[in-house]
Amino acid sequence: MSDILLTAFLVSAVLLSINSYFGLEIIRRGIIFTDLAIGQMAALGAGLSLFFLEGEYLYPISLSLSLLAGLIIAVASRRSNNVEAFIGLMYAFGLSGVYILLSKSYHGMEKFQNLMAADILFTPLEEILRTAILYAVLGVILIVMHRKAKGVMRDLLFFITFSITVTSAVKLAGVLIVFSLLVAPALISTTIRKGIPIVNALIIGIFLNMIAISVSYYLDFPTGYTIVFVNSFAALIASAFSQKAKSGDTVKC
Amino acid sequence: MKKALIVIFLHFVCVSLFAEQLHVVTTYPYIASIVEQIGAKNVRVHPLADGEWDPHTILPKPSFIAHLRRADLLIINGAQLEIGWLPPLMKQSNNPKISVGGQGLFDLSRFVQLIDIPVGVSRAHGDIHPDGNPHYYLDPHNIPLIANAIMEKLCDLDPAGASDYRKNHALFINKWETRLTQWDKALVKLKGIAVIEYHKIYDYFLRRYGIELLGTVETLPGIPPTSKHIEELETKLQTSTVQFILQDVYNPDGASLHLAHKHNIKCIKLPHDVGAVREAEDIFSLYDEIVRRLTNE
Repeated sequence: MSDILLTAFLVSAVLLSINSYFGLEIIRRGIIFTDLAIGQMAALGAGLSLFFLEGEYLYPISLSLSLLAGLIIAVASRRSNNVEAFIGLMYAFGLSGVYILLSKSYHGMEKFQNLMAADILFTPLEEILRTAILYAVLGVILIVMHRKAKGVMRDLLFFITFSITVTSAVKLAGVLIVFSLLVAPALISTTIRKGIPIVNALIIGIFLNMIAISVSYYLDFPTGYTIVFVNSFAALIASAFSQKAKSGDTVKC
Repeated sequence: MKKALIVIFLHFVCVSLFAEQLHVVTTYPYIASIVEQIGAKNVRVHPLADGEWDPHTILPKPSFIAHLRRADLLIINGAQLEIGWLPPLMKQSNNPKISVGGQGLFDLSRFVQLIDIPVGVSRAHGDIHPDGNPHYYLDPHNIPLIANAIMEKLCDLDPAGASDYRKNHALFINKWETRLTQWDKALVKLKGIAVIEYHKIYDYFLRRYGIELLGTVETLPGIPPTSKHIEELETKLQTSTVQFILQDVYNPDGASLHLAHKHNIKCIKLPHDVGAVREAEDIFSLYDEIVRRLTNE
């Protein structure tokens, strides 16, 4: 059985590696739900491909829609003051679009859920490896460009890499797991005043996932939901008991 | 000392008996219940899904894989009922015995006559199941066919226990035929009535007992009711007499109850599997309960 737990753990570790950075960044920018909106637009792309093209070109269509969503959010976050409302509505738009499309297809919803809500228990090792390589490349691009790019370019770069990450992460583990791995460890690390936030987030995330995966195994809980539960529970506790940051204190990256 | 030796001896006897048991995993509890009757002490049987759950979408847990890894035999309902949840579990369990083409993968749908097989599968209606309606076991006359197939398979895999399986099978069929006569007799009075069901799950049952199906509450299989669809159903209700609305335990019953209340029709919640309601403890009491709920005035 240990190999199954190992797979689940590897998936979460790979996801955490790049999402610790993105998590801190979206908390700093105050655009927490960007990930859900982009993930949902990727799902809408999958729905479009299923409905009109019988599932052909699923990944390219998903990726294009999520890139489009990322670009729109990038522009909106510079122009609009109500960017969270905008992002929330984009999520609602994607979600309702999927439901309307698939309401015209027999068992379409079942097929769709199979495609989108991947179960963390079943990810093949090759898929994990491929994602790890993709994230390493994205990570290098981020580190190099982060220093050079400025202003609009930097924003664009951020949202493009983020869209690619979210689309592949959602395919690997499902929307909810990605969201909790993205936000919970980052949020907890903002309550810690010592060390480097991104390293803290990574360590906290790995620790929480080890607990979650063991609990899921010994108590026979669905693994994905246990990961979401443990991560969000820990973040809620940490936020409730941490002292509020003084005004002027901002999250460092 | 003597006592200790006896204990050790008994322990080894138990261990060896245990080891000889055939590990059978079934997707649904109703199959497990039949296997228990026929396999008795020669098999260890474990159903994956719970009877209360929606059979189309089962949320996987780590223990499923553990069970599948130990399995000598995996018995499935088939006809694509498990298509949404079982294939990744089988793949992850990596057990050659129960993989596609293996000796230990057994599909029961091959032994019954399926209905609603689409003529010329066209994509115009979306993802219709090309194999037909998978809920065949809800016709109690199909159970002996399945029981027979299970008995043959157990004999195949475990020739040493064959005489036991045949004996248990004969007992089971005997008992089943007696109950079947009672159920058939009780259900005669429902012949010719019309019903509505939420999902197309009781079709085999309705067909067997001459009950007319006027429509389903859900718009399409797996798609929740829309307002236009409910309106069409209500138009039908005005011109014909519908006796019952049949509701399963796992789908939302709001729309069914609304229709029942508005048109003064009885809404009956029927179990679809062993364990779906408290009374349905095994394959016998499942049908006892279905018949009781339908004939109880």
